[in-house]
Parts: sequence; structure tokens; C-alpha cells
Amino acid sequence: MSKQSQERPNWGLSYGELVWRRFRKSRLNMACLIFVAFLLLLAVFAPFLASDRPFIVRIDGKLHFPLFKNLQLADYCIFLAAGVASLQLFVGSRRQNRKFRILSPVCCLLYVGLGSMLILAFVPRRLDATDYRALIASGKASNAVFPPIPYGYDRTNLELCRQPPSRRHWLGTDDVGTDVLCRLIHGSRISLAVGFVAVGISTIIGIVAGAILGYFGGKVDFIGMRIVEAVMAIPVFFLIITMMAFFPRSILNIMIIIGITGWTGSARFIRAEFLKLRRQDFVQAAISLALPLRSILFRHMLPNAIAPVLVNATFGISSAIFIEAALSFLGFGVAPPTPSWGQMLSLGVSTTGRFLWWLTLFPGLAIFLTVMAYNLAGEGLRDAIDPPRAGTALVSPALTGRVPPAVPGVNTAEGGRKTR
Amino acid sequence: MNGDDTILNFRFSIGNRRSAIGNQLSVEGLCVGFFTQACPETGLSRAKSRGRGNGVVPAVQDVSFSIKKGQTFALVGESGCGKTATALAIMRLLPAGQSRVVQGKILFEGRNLLELSEKQMRLIRGSKISMVFQEPATSLNPVYTVGDQIAEAIELHQNKNAGQAWEDAAAILRKVGIADPERRALEYPHRLSGGMQQRVMIAMAISCNPVLLIADEPTTALDTTVQAQILDLLDDLRKQNGMSILLITHNLGVAAQRADIIAVMYASRLVEIADSRQLLAQPHHPYTQGLLRSLPRLGSPPTGSGVERLQTIPGTVPEALHLPGGCKFHPRCRVGCADMRCRKIEPALREIQPGRWAACWRAPGYE
Repeated sequence: MSKQSQERPNWGLSYGELVWRRFRKSRLNMACLIFVAFLLLLAVFAPFLASDRPFIVRIDGKLHFPLFKNLQLADYCIFLAAGVASLQLFVGSRRQNRKFRILSPVCCLLYVGLGSMLILAFVPRRLDATDYRALIASGKASNAVFPPIPYGYDRTNLELCRQPPSRRHWLGTDDVGTDVLCRLIHGSRISLAVGFVAVGISTIIGIVAGAILGYFGGKVDFIGMRIVEAVMAIPVFFLIITMMAFFPRSILNIMIIIGITGWTGSARFIRAEFLKLRRQDFVQAAISLALPLRSILFRHMLPNAIAPVLVNATFGISSAIFIEAALSFLGFGVAPPTPSWGQMLSLGVSTTGRFLWWLTLFPGLAIFLTVMAYNLAGEGLRDAIDPPRAGTALVSPALTGRVPPAVPGVNTAEGGRKTR
Repeated sequence: MNGDDTILNFRFSIGNRRSAIGNQLSVEGLCVGFFTQACPETGLSRAKSRGRGNGVVPAVQDVSFSIKKGQTFALVGESGCGKTATALAIMRLLPAGQSRVVQGKILFEGRNLLELSEKQMRLIRGSKISMVFQEPATSLNPVYTVGDQIAEAIELHQNKNAGQAWEDAAAILRKVGIADPERRALEYPHRLSGGMQQRVMIAMAISCNPVLLIADEPTTALDTTVQAQILDLLDDLRKQNGMSILLITHNLGVAAQRADIIAVMYASRLVEIADSRQLLAQPHHPYTQGLLRSLPRLGSPPTGSGVERLQTIPGTVPEALHLPGGCKFHPRCRVGCADMRCRKIEPALREIQPGRWAACWRAPGYE
């Protein structure tokens, strides 16, 4: 302890570090977080995991790299975003820089959201239609190295349609002969993009609206809250179905509609917190120093009010994923060549006669696990942020010595029960 | 700091005070009302309650005083007498839906602060007038390090980049007597003691060299030794920077030690203003007399034999909504309670001797 404090002066835990310490106490929370991270990795590296183009192939004695050549601009964008996000996460956790520690988690979320947005902004086009498998079979190409799942998500093969799981197709094939595992992996991109972008839109709108309502109060608040209540009364799902009738069936439209109808929750949370904060001395002190309104609202008040919104956003992601799956299941979602879990689910029951269990089970399981992971992670986050409300406060007594006593809104481990 | 410097500073401040002709700040006939029936959620019923003529509590009534350059002006009074409301009115920080300046002028550098737009006011807050709040523990943002909070104000008001502002923040922390400021700047507020938090608050307030510092009970939340340190610090800073201090306190002892001028407030009115020595030696208003009599003193043996009880002011502070007629102090006054004039007519604050004001019919030289 003394040696450690010599090496690195103990500057005290920031709020984020405090929450993180409580969050990681639970194995369930960590399992959910790992699952979410796994899904993110799947989504980012989908082209390298499942594609019918080989990494490297020799045709007529010359080496070709079809997989890399066929990466879309959107793919590069998401690699870049993921790279910057993970770098920042790593550097942010190592460096004791004052701004990094606060901003890095927020920035990571932004990058992921931005990357997902870019994926969808550039609709994937098939650039190279060469069937490398046929080339190899005919002996024109050799020395091919394929990804682990060597099937494309849009390559049809009518001879192999509706195959149950086998050694070649681990999770079977669908009604046009596309590999289910491949489509599941590529489908995770759509699900996560919908989750992050829709929640990103709704959270940003909610924070700005809630901040203004809560800070100014009075008539602004009175009128604003009536608008919030009006928006809350709109049944989102039916609105989306109606909108889909007017606008082209695109994933971007779904995300925007979920985003602009779902901001009321975070707006109400932020408003409540701001009403509480606005008479606090440190906000008055910030005003007395003539800091600009932007800084008072978003730099001084928001970090003290963000906790319930982050929890709300986590639940929002899972509900957005669920809405997208439901829409695709009903046929209002993304257009067929683009893989989506909900749309795959619908294939299992749409064909006559046979019940194709693998088409129902695997996408269903994917949706179920993802939604559950986000919900449990959100619940863990809520407990970590607000220990008094937790069923079991997972704070070990070892932590008491290092937890600062007077962070407003944070109950320290004093009253926490020992669970392990 | 060596001895010569101190003498120089001392001379400088004396000279400053003598040469000062204009007032740094003068408040003229300030009245502040708090709305009791306004719904704080909506503010909608406010107009209605004003129309009925009730529901407005006068928190500050006809308060006038002026602060000269380099002076410490103490505003003394019990809780709820309107000291903080006066300070908030000067900063224009009164809670918008619940209170309002009803009338009066606050002149600062030749301009009436009450007529300035919010934008113009922002040029004055922080850089010209700044404020230290009562509770150091809640006046600092818990999510930022103290260096961050000081540096932000410097960055904004002095157009410096982040690195320079951070260096300045450390320098100011050293100035307010925090040891190892480079490291302390990286601490979160909850890791500092109450005294250190108040030093940080003062550092924030003086970071942009204001000409007037409003200290709203800066030592109330601190224990006596730390209290003395903080007051010494404010005194030193006043001498160094040549700023004026409006010291708001309920502790007459604190005011007696530090202030040049003391103004006593009772029931939202000023009752007496005088040079601190004169006020303590010869109080003219019965309320001030009562306050001084109720203070225990070291070294002055009780008159007569045996132990004498400390005197108190009889009665309680009147409710702001049901103030007595005439002089607001007359029901508790030892001399005025029987006087019809005290009961019927309220005395205004009037200069009774050069540099002394009082609001009492019986004060010598009042009429």
C-alpha cells in the first residue's frame, strides 16, 4: 500500500471509478459486459469472420486479396471508430489525465454510435460477384484462405436451401441456401447499430430538452412537460409501422423514429435531477463566476445528473433492438438481402409444412441473449450507481477504507451488506 | 514575505483608503420581495397573488449603504434578516420564480447593476464582483478536481489556454495558503477538509482579481481556529489586491475584528451603520446595544459581587409577514416600548453624526 502510494500519488477515486468498482463486484454484471463486448467484436469484425471471399487466393499464378479489396468504406469507418474507441478506453484507464477519465466512456459510446451510423449510411453494395468457390472447384484458382465461416450473407444457393445444421453449415441454411451463422454474425451489426444510434438520438434530445426544462423551470418547464406527456402518449410501435408505409423501408428511418419518440424518459430523468441541482451552491457558484450557460448546464450540472440517464439508455438499447427485431419479423424492417435477426426468425414459420427449427431457435436465442445482457447490465449499472436501491449492495468491506465519504448521491460502503 | 513588504502593503492600503473618493459599490433604497404563494413549479399564480396584495414577504426593505475601495464592510444580523438576500440581489442571483428586487438601485462603477442585461451582468460577475458561499462542502462541484474548477474560470475570464490557466490555478492555490498546490489541484473536493475547501472557494472567487468580494458567512461552517485563518487570508488578499469585501456574518465578534464599517440589520432593515470601533464603543440603536450586552467578554469582570447573568434581548424576532407597526424593534425595546412615537411611526435610517447612521427616534442627534 505504502509502496503503491509512493509510485502513484493517491488522487482519489473519481465518480466513474467508484461506480466501476461496484459494478465489477458482481460476476453476472461482468458476464453481461463480456457478452456485450463479444457482440461488439462480432459486429466490428463480421467481414473477417464470415465471407465467401478468401483472404488470399492464387489465380493464374498471381496472388489476389479479394476480401480486403471488397471492404466497403463503411467497414473502414467502423474499424477506425472501434480502433479509436478501444485506444481511448485503454489510454483513459491508464492515464491519470483529468479530462480523459471523464470523457473516455462517453467518447467510446459516441464512436460506436458514429461507426454504426456510417455502416448504414453506406448501403453495402456487392462489388465483386466472382464465385471463388466455383473457381476453385474448376481448378482455376488455388491456395485460397477463407474466413472461418466461408459463406457470404447474400450468396444464394438454391441446391442447399433449408438444410438443418450440419458440418458444412453449423447452424443450417435458410430458404435461399444462405448460411444461418453467417447471417447471424452480419445481423449483429444491424441490431447493435439500431440500438446505439436510436438510443444516441433519443438520449441527446432527452438531455438537451430535460436540461432546459429543469434549469429554467417555471413556465418553460410547465409547457415543456405537457409536450413530453403528449409525446409519451404516442404508441411508438404503431407509429413506426405507419411511418414505414410512407417512407422507404430503411434501417435509418427506423432508428430515427425510435430516436425521436423515445427521448421522453431521459428528458424526465434529467429534468428531475436538474430541478434538484439548480439551487445547489456549486451551481450558484458557477453562475456567480459568470460561466456560460452551456458550461453550467452540460459541464457542471450534467455529470451530476447523468447516472439515471445512462441506466435508462442501457434499457433503451435493448428495447430498440427488440423493436427492430419485431419490425423485421413483421416484414417492416430492413430489406431482405441485408441480414436482420428478426427477419431470419420469420423465415422459420413462413414456409409451408415443415417447421424449420434452426431458423427460429438461433436468431431467437441471439435476440434473447442480447436483450437480456443489456437489461442485466443496465440493472447492474443502476445498482452500482445507486446502492441504497439495490437488492443486495455488492460492496465489500475492503472498499470502505478507500471510498470517499462525501460524494453527493453516492452512498458509501458503510451500510453495504457483505454478500461474499 | 519579509517585513518590508508587509509595511509597504500596509502603507499602500492606508493610502488607498484615504485617497479613495468614489464608492466601490453603493446600494440605494433596495427592496427585495419573496413570493410566498407563487407556485415554484409554474410561477403561474404569481400575478394573482401580487394583485391581492399579499403573499409577498419583504426580505430586504429600503436598505442603503456604500462600500469604499479597499474597505471591509460587515453586514451583521440574525438569521433571516435579509443579509444573504442583499448579497444575492447585488449578484443578481435571487431565485427567479420566487423573489424579485421590488425597487432600489445598486450602483457599481457608475452603473446600476439592476438595469444591466444578463449578458452585461456576466461581464461583471466573476471578473469584477465575485462571491464566496456559506457552505464550502456544497459549493464545489463534486465531479471535477479543484484545479479544474479554478482553471475554468481563469480560462474564461482571462483568455488563457488550458495549460496556462492550470498553472495560474496552482499559483492561486498557493496564494490562499494551500501547501503543495500542484498536487492538491488534482484532488477532488471531497478529499479536502472544510477549511481547505473554503480556501479553494476563495481561490476561485479571487482568481480573476475582482474589485469586490462578497463573502456570505464564509466561516460559519468552520471551527474557530480555521475561522481565524480564513479571515486572516481574506484580510491579506484585500491588502494585496486592493479589493473591497462585503462580509456577511451573524457573528458580531468576527465583524468587530475584521471590518472597517459595520452595518447592523434587523427585520430586513438596516438599523445602524458606523465605524466598527465607534459602534462597539458606543452603540446608539437599542438592538445593537442589546446584541453587545448579550456577548460574554473576557477580561471585563462582572460588576458587583458574584456572578452576573448574561443579558438577553427579550421576545423573539417578528414574523416577516406580521411585522409590528412603527419601529420594528419597539416590542423588544427597553426604552421604546412605551413611547407612542416608536409604536406608530417608523424611523428611517439617518445620519446622526458624520459617518454614523442610525434608525432610532431616541438616538442622540437623530432629530
